[in-house]
Amino acid sequence: MKKLTMALGFIAITLAGSLSATAAEIKLLNVSYDPTRELYQDYNAAFSKYWQAKTGDTVTVQASHGGSGKQARAIVDGLEADVATLALAYDVDQLNEKAHLIPKDWQKRLPNNSAPYTSTIVFLVRKGNPKHIKDWDDIIKPGVSIITPNPKTSGGARWNYLAAWAYALKHNNNDEAKAREFVGKLYKNVPVLDSGARGSTTTFVERGIGDVLLAWENEAFLAKKELGPDKVDIVVPSLSILAEPPVTIVDKVVDKHKTRAVAQAYLEYLYSPEGQEIAARNFYRPTLEAVAKKYEGQFPKINLVKIDDPEFGGWQATQKKHFNDGGVFDQIYAK
Amino acid sequence: MQFKKKLIPALVFSAVVSGGLVAGISNVYADDSDELAKLRAQIEELDQKIKILDRKSEIAAEESAAKKKETPIVSASKDGFGFKSADGNFDIRFKALLQLDYRSFYDHGNTPLNVSGFDFRRIRPTIDGTLWGKYDFRFTPEFGEDKTTVDSGIVDAYVDARFTPYFQVKAGKFKPFLGLERLQSGSDLKFIERSYVSNNIEPNRDVGASIHGDILDGKVNYAVGVFNGVVDGGDNKTLQDTSTDKDYAARIFVTPFKDTDSVFAGLGVGLSASHGNFLGNTTNTGLPSYKTPGQQQNFFTYTNTIGNGDHDRISPQGYFYYGPFGVIAEYAQVSQDVQLTTGTKLKGSLDNSAWQIAGSWLLTGEDASFKGVKPKQVFDADGGGWGAWELVARYEQNDIDSGAFTTPTQVRFASPVTNSKTASSWAAGVNWYLNQNVRLEANYEQTSFDLGGGGTIAHPIDRPDEKILFTRLQLSY
Repeated sequence: MKKLTMALGFIAITLAGSLSATAAEIKLLNVSYDPTRELYQDYNAAFSKYWQAKTGDTVTVQASHGGSGKQARAIVDGLEADVATLALAYDVDQLNEKAHLIPKDWQKRLPNNSAPYTSTIVFLVRKGNPKHIKDWDDIIKPGVSIITPNPKTSGGARWNYLAAWAYALKHNNNDEAKAREFVGKLYKNVPVLDSGARGSTTTFVERGIGDVLLAWENEAFLAKKELGPDKVDIVVPSLSILAEPPVTIVDKVVDKHKTRAVAQAYLEYLYSPEGQEIAARNFYRPTLEAVAKKYEGQFPKINLVKIDDPEFGGWQATQKKHFNDGGVFDQIYAK
Repeated sequence: MQFKKKLIPALVFSAVVSGGLVAGISNVYADDSDELAKLRAQIEELDQKIKILDRKSEIAAEESAAKKKETPIVSASKDGFGFKSADGNFDIRFKALLQLDYRSFYDHGNTPLNVSGFDFRRIRPTIDGTLWGKYDFRFTPEFGEDKTTVDSGIVDAYVDARFTPYFQVKAGKFKPFLGLERLQSGSDLKFIERSYVSNNIEPNRDVGASIHGDILDGKVNYAVGVFNGVVDGGDNKTLQDTSTDKDYAARIFVTPFKDTDSVFAGLGVGLSASHGNFLGNTTNTGLPSYKTPGQQQNFFTYTNTIGNGDHDRISPQGYFYYGPFGVIAEYAQVSQDVQLTTGTKLKGSLDNSAWQIAGSWLLTGEDASFKGVKPKQVFDADGGGWGAWELVARYEQNDIDSGAFTTPTQVRFASPVTNSKTASSWAAGVNWYLNQNVRLEANYEQTSFDLGGGGTIAHPIDRPDEKILFTRLQLSY
């Protein structure tokens, strides 16, 4: 009798506990770079479904998109992002250096230097490639109008610039003066500098400006898919750069919002098979081997340089040399 | 045969001519094609240039809109000068209040005589603002006649944290929210000098902290606070606690018909109270002197007396505004424990009081309110508007407890020969608001006194009437 009473009591307490626990409604803010709208629209829906099935909680993820540098500055200035999914590691580093929002070793917290997917830079040209653009040399010719965003605000623009720089160095025996001249000619052919990659896509695709768009690979595929293969062509240059857009939780914000667990899970799910499938379907190169193999036919093979290669020496050195005020870009663009 | 001879040359001739014609036409077509191609290329180039200009304009507009969200707003207007962040959360404002009076006294035969002349009544620059959208601050020094050599020269210095509309915390030096008229800004007063209630009973300013807020859709305002404590009508000018205990104050004010269409929408009634305890000494008696409306003379001063215990105030108060008419009325009583420092060391508890009722009428049709007047038309000497004109009238009285006065059989706390028991005043005036910032005023006030005009303890006589004509030029923003 005593045991029965105790058992009944235990059951009653458990029931009361479970009845009193209600599913939570959680909101996250993902501050991302410009071209990831479609990716995160698909991904957020998938993650919400996954999280609800796993925990019963409802997660609503709001996304903010803009030039990667601008987005990083916004977070430093107080925009309360639970997660930051930016275009390059240097922009994420600012969250530590300028505002101590994340630890210095943030990049080690997730696989592949916290880059769940990669991309590269290709050329998007008008159908039929009327200006006969095959490689970087062709786009610096007079009469070719190039669309690329502003490297001071856009992460994609910095990848574009560095890919051109790497090509110029390689084809001029690492002569930096020749590389400057090359990149100078490139920017002379740029009529409009948008603040972000999506803006440049709008300029090229919707406004019909320019002969070639230096684009994120995913943007190029997306534009071709949405406009139709009869409107644009993708030209793969002989050399490009491996772009590794990283992701991180913003520690000070998630601790304030008490969303650390779900924010961490949100980023980890990017590495899951479903997350990687979504990335691939949105034309980002997946890092999970099985998914990468499945989609390898979708992505052209390109000779890729990396930001850690000797000609660049990592993001800190590259940002300081090329993109800080008074750097190489400012010197070239001012001429 | 002859036909054939003629035909062949004709045919050859035709072939030559038509061949030439065809060649000529082809050349024309070839030139046109080149021309068309050139024109086409030119059009495409121009089309691109137009598109580029359009896109640059679009980007510039986007950047301008984005920058606007970050660009501080500089303001210079009738409401003052200042800077504000684009999101409105950070704000600093520079204001000023200047009051230049000419005070005429018509009290011939009264000794000592009031002195007629110019008087800079208030010279107060103010810096106030808001941080993070909810932390208000204010700093106001005084460079006018109120400043003496011993005081800090600070009128207001406080922070007010508006956590929610119903829970706000204020700390620093500020008005202890007891008197209704005292809460009116110095730039919004209907009369050149406040009433006895404000000047002689309720505290002016003190150093302390309060919790206050608005509840029930702003229809009820409450405030509770603790302060260093000041004498009646006093101002904690040294910013130090010279009393022996703290003053505790509370107020509730109700505007039950606010924001309705009722005729009583402009009605407000309230009650305030404070409790303090002061043990004075010969250096710091803890007791006030009560001034006449002229502000230069005291009609009552304690003699050889110190505060010796409880110091409690209570004040019912209210106002009513309807169209161009306004009325404000308040009563304040202070219960003060006192003791003689000489002779019998007599102790007592005195109830001194003051009350006023004042009315205003805006002749030019503006709506009267507790706050300032915004003229419908500014004064323009070139044939424009006349500004706003307002008539004002007031009756007020300040009464000292009869137990304060020495009698023929007992020395008490003040002599009836030199101190008046009651001061009763009536005042009338006119205010001319040239615009929201500049105002001219004229008040006539006449005061009669009971006692304090000489004579003997047994047969004291009344102090002569005080008659004053004050005029003021006020600039405020």
